[in-house]
Amino acid sequence: MQAPQASSKPDQTLSRNMTLLAHHELGGFGGLGEGMGLQITKDGRRIMWLAHESAPKNFSGMDVTDPKNPRLIVQTDLPHMQLRSNSLDVWGDILAVAYQTQTVGLKPAGVDLFDVSNPENPKLLSHFDCSGPFSRGVHALWFVDGKYIHMSSGSGDFEPTNPLDDQFYRILDVSDPTKPVEAGRWWYPGTRVGDDAPPPPRHPKFDTGYRVHNSNVFPREPHRAYVGYIDGGAFVLDISDMKNIQVISHWNHSPPLNGFIHTVLPLFDRGLWIVSDECVRDDGLDWPKLVWVINSKDEKNPVSISTFPMPPVEVFGKRGGRYGAHNLHENLPVPSSFYSDTIIIGTFFNGGIRVYDTTDPYRVEEIAYFVPGAPKLSPIGSVQINDVYVDENAIVYGVDRFGGGLYILEMNI
Amino acid sequence: MNFQRDALASKIPVTIITGFLGSGKTTLISQLVRHPAMNRVALVINEIGEIGIDHDLVESSTENITLLSNGCICCSVRTDMQETLRDLFARRSVGEVFDFDRIIIETTGLADPAPVLQTLVSDTLLEAQFRFDGLVTLVDAVNFSSLVDSQAEIVKQIAIADKILLTKTDLVEPSAIASLEDLIRSINSSAPIVRIVHGEVSPKELMGLGLSSSKSAAKILAFLGNDPEQEKYLGSFIQAHSSKIQTLSLRFDEPFTWQAFSSALELLSNLRGPDLLRLKGIVNVDGKPVVVQGVQHIFHPPVNLSQWPSEDHQTRLVFITRNIDAKVIRGLFDTVRLLNTPPA
Repeated sequence: MQAPQASSKPDQTLSRNMTLLAHHELGGFGGLGEGMGLQITKDGRRIMWLAHESAPKNFSGMDVTDPKNPRLIVQTDLPHMQLRSNSLDVWGDILAVAYQTQTVGLKPAGVDLFDVSNPENPKLLSHFDCSGPFSRGVHALWFVDGKYIHMSSGSGDFEPTNPLDDQFYRILDVSDPTKPVEAGRWWYPGTRVGDDAPPPPRHPKFDTGYRVHNSNVFPREPHRAYVGYIDGGAFVLDISDMKNIQVISHWNHSPPLNGFIHTVLPLFDRGLWIVSDECVRDDGLDWPKLVWVINSKDEKNPVSISTFPMPPVEVFGKRGGRYGAHNLHENLPVPSSFYSDTIIIGTFFNGGIRVYDTTDPYRVEEIAYFVPGAPKLSPIGSVQINDVYVDENAIVYGVDRFGGGLYILEMNI
Repeated sequence: MNFQRDALASKIPVTIITGFLGSGKTTLISQLVRHPAMNRVALVINEIGEIGIDHDLVESSTENITLLSNGCICCSVRTDMQETLRDLFARRSVGEVFDFDRIIIETTGLADPAPVLQTLVSDTLLEAQFRFDGLVTLVDAVNFSSLVDSQAEIVKQIAIADKILLTKTDLVEPSAIASLEDLIRSINSSAPIVRIVHGEVSPKELMGLGLSSSKSAAKILAFLGNDPEQEKYLGSFIQAHSSKIQTLSLRFDEPFTWQAFSSALELLSNLRGPDLLRLKGIVNVDGKPVVVQGVQHIFHPPVNLSQWPSEDHQTRLVFITRNIDAKVIRGLFDTVRLLNTPPA
């Protein structure tokens, strides 16, 4: 008789308190990015919009009205292969899609707005151009109120002091979706040529840049932007005057840790932020990449009080690809979104989707997870869960970065 | 709406199997490990060697853990139960063993379930991850009649059970089985009795015995046994076997403070612990519903329900006791509540 494996194998599915309802590979184009939005159409259908991680596909629409039987209803193509539409959000019948080019100076780089009232046939309403000699366009966007898009973007008039610092915080006013206009911007002092401040010091080991990843603004606190500024740390910005944005809070764990702060999710009623890093190196090279609980009751002095428990890096670090924190379900203030100020759902690349109870913020508890076995179409032999969206019925939608497509899950919590 | 977690749903249920020597536990386990419905079940037993698993059923094996091709994990207790359960959970989380969703434990030695329950409620890690689902007692149909008057332990095992498996029923006349069942019901009127032969039973009979949700009204009501036709409250108790084991159902109109309720329970447990065999019920604590349950002197952490499962907001408690009068228990709870009430 052979001994049990010393650790799990990448082709092994691991689960706890999560049941797979359906899995869909999107017609062989199941490499998905960080854009997920659930539209409820006027005729009552539920359409999950998904951004592709890389070319040739742009975005896809899946009809998930029956979550056990998802159907691909539309899949669009990018104009060229040096482009990706990593991020999207949907508000009502308007879909906002971010475009980022592989190198600076290419087009189209910016944001498209589509009318998806007929989801099978998205109609372009407008394109907002963010291209330029130093710009790769838009990496991530947040669009939850029909009025503003908050995004990580370059601009034709922005020359960074370091090429890695090209994407800063920009606000678009899209109240007229056919004519988006810039409403405000803020960047880390010293990252733009001509700033009074000196360029910030580079991370000594993993220089992943001073640029924005996620920028979240919630209608209940419309004057606060919660911004993950990658190596620059976590920021809360006062955007009450969008032409004169001010820093309220700043927190960073790096150095000594390995940088790349991705998401800052406020739990308003509890005076907490949940902050996620992003793992960007394979085989555990940039470990630890964690999810942090920050006590933000004193906005001037945010303090880390715990991190989310994760399975041992010794087990997952070499399971293939990346292992560490990435996207969180962000309590989107839209009717189709799950909301909880205690239960947090996150993605951890080869660590799958994991669910946490933060009721005791000093002792966060892992209560569920689902780690799919390696997708058949994965080039790296391991799942890489990239993003997650949880709907108002607590159905969990997770996507793989390479080929695995969409996993639809039910939580038993 | 702000989603709130179900206090129980995500915990792994644990069933405990007990039974007197010769009641058929090993035969039952031998059958269980072969059953397809044991997929995602971890079975913690005394000795793997005793149950004779065919080699062609074995996926892999180490000193104390055998993974079977039907998805069942067979684990023998190496040092103590606490370490065994912690080890199983840790191995599960890193994928070293199948993703079990349930544990079934065979009691060891004198088959007293109390030490296992104590482990489940007192170990912080285990208490956070596992919940006691129920106690299944095996009763040997051939020898029960001759043992029941001399072996107090057998009577207790029946009294505290959530389900009774009556074994070896092929060796006893049907009429005798019916009277055996009457005798068992006189000790424990609420536990269903399932007749089995050669240990053949569906694993489902061992599952879903306890409270699995703090949100589902239907599940809570089923756990409380809230059949209005069957309710017999306040002083109405079933005259039982000569062992003086009684089922007492009490209702209280006025809410308790948690301090008053827990003080009364603690006092009762301290003074009459050995005779307090089981307790379950729903308590109105300052207007809010709290489920309580205990086996002998071990009380599970109280479960705060998100809402009342029905319009009935009275405190309802069912005790299984030995030689304790219902009036005494009622008087104790009323008195402690009065002592806790500030003067008007």
